[in-house]
Amino acid sequence: MIKLRNISKSYAQHQVIKSVDLSIGKGEIYGIIGESGAGKSTLLRIMNVLERPDQGEVEVNGQLLTALTGAELRRARQSIGMIFQQFNLLANKTVLDNVMIPLQLVKAPRQAQRARAMECLDFVGLAHAANKYPAQLSGGQKQRVAIARALANEPQVLLCDEPTSALDAGTTSEILAVLDNVNKTLGVTVVIVSHELEVIRSICNALAVMADGEIYDTLTITPKGITQLDKSPQSLVDKLTKEGS
Amino acid sequence: MIPDILTQYQAEIIEAIGETFVMVGISIVAAIAIGLPIGTFLYLCRVGNIMANRWVYSSLNVIVNTIRSFPFLLLVVFLIPFTRLIIGTAIGTAAATVPLSIIAIAHYARLAEQSLLDVPKGVLEAAISMGASLKDIIFKFLYVEARSGLVFGLTTSIVSFISYSTIMGVVGGGGIGDFAIRYGYQQFKTDLMLYVIVIMIILVQVIQFVGTTIARKIDKR
Repeated sequence: MIKLRNISKSYAQHQVIKSVDLSIGKGEIYGIIGESGAGKSTLLRIMNVLERPDQGEVEVNGQLLTALTGAELRRARQSIGMIFQQFNLLANKTVLDNVMIPLQLVKAPRQAQRARAMECLDFVGLAHAANKYPAQLSGGQKQRVAIARALANEPQVLLCDEPTSALDAGTTSEILAVLDNVNKTLGVTVVIVSHELEVIRSICNALAVMADGEIYDTLTITPKGITQLDKSPQSLVDKLTKEGS
Repeated sequence: MIPDILTQYQAEIIEAIGETFVMVGISIVAAIAIGLPIGTFLYLCRVGNIMANRWVYSSLNVIVNTIRSFPFLLLVVFLIPFTRLIIGTAIGTAAATVPLSIIAIAHYARLAEQSLLDVPKGVLEAAISMGASLKDIIFKFLYVEARSGLVFGLTTSIVSFISYSTIMGVVGGGGIGDFAIRYGYQQFKTDLMLYVIVIMIILVQVIQFVGTTIARKIDKR
């Protein structure tokens, strides 16, 4: 579903991603964990070419995104949902209008836009808040609106950049339950970047551990614990393994 | 109760207000039609933004700053050959709209750029991640989120345009400010000048009130 091949990225003299290879299968909930500055958010943003890698290939849904022209890339992005730590909703638009934006971008018929947006809001349990403005919602509700917006165009992939970092523990579980539902009910492949161990452990079935621009290890998570740890771990991996076993 | 002197000069005052409205009205159109796109372009060309181009930004920035730093009276005189070229004459209300529109464009371009800078970067990021085109980014995201600031900026600009328009008498542009100087100051009718100042204060208050009310109403942040 998502394949990154030999990806590198630098800002000025600082190399933030170093020859990364990663493969994420269809229907997975995949976690990318690492400490601040490890390069995990950059790697996620490379998956929809929000950041263009200096080197390497990005393939999503069988489409080589790094080879697309501007207009083709825009069309490809319309079928890749993304949510952010700070939600990034339009404050001057109602909840319903926010969810309708992606449908307007693909020029869906007006009536269909409304019906689909309401369907997505219903899916995240916020149909009743359709006419409110984001400022009238709690953090968790804003993130649910962002998820509804990301689902509007029926994406096959949902990229989540620190989706719960701005939320308290209770709201975090609520959002993780919605993301789990997106994966289980709609079959959407979900990629979550987080620095919170609990978030990754509670929802993901596979993960990559990043440090200093590299993937230290890839692991699978089963009810019995974390397996396939076969490289020399660093502190984060140690902690993860200890708590998972 | 309208003072006698106002009744006496009623026709001239109405004509002068009409001239002010024409000059300021055309400046507002120029500010929105040309100043807003220039402000948007400046914003998009800034370093780190989606059309980042240091050379284009710096050049346009210098032009906007140069026009804004010109003492307005000197700009009017400096532009006389240009005004003559495009209007056919450098005298009269129509000719006066040229320098006024140029300062309006530069003035509003800067304020529009500042308003756009207040839009959170994340909104732009969300737009790109959704596959929005440049046109969509501008009209469906940037202007929607910056609309309150853009209206505030336009209100401030209109008040400045009215102030600028008062000196258009030097090129026969007329207007309410010119009327106050010609009749009130030069003919020693101080009371008439004071009444005209009151009219202008009321005009500015109304514009400020309307602008602020609209800006507040459309701000849902």
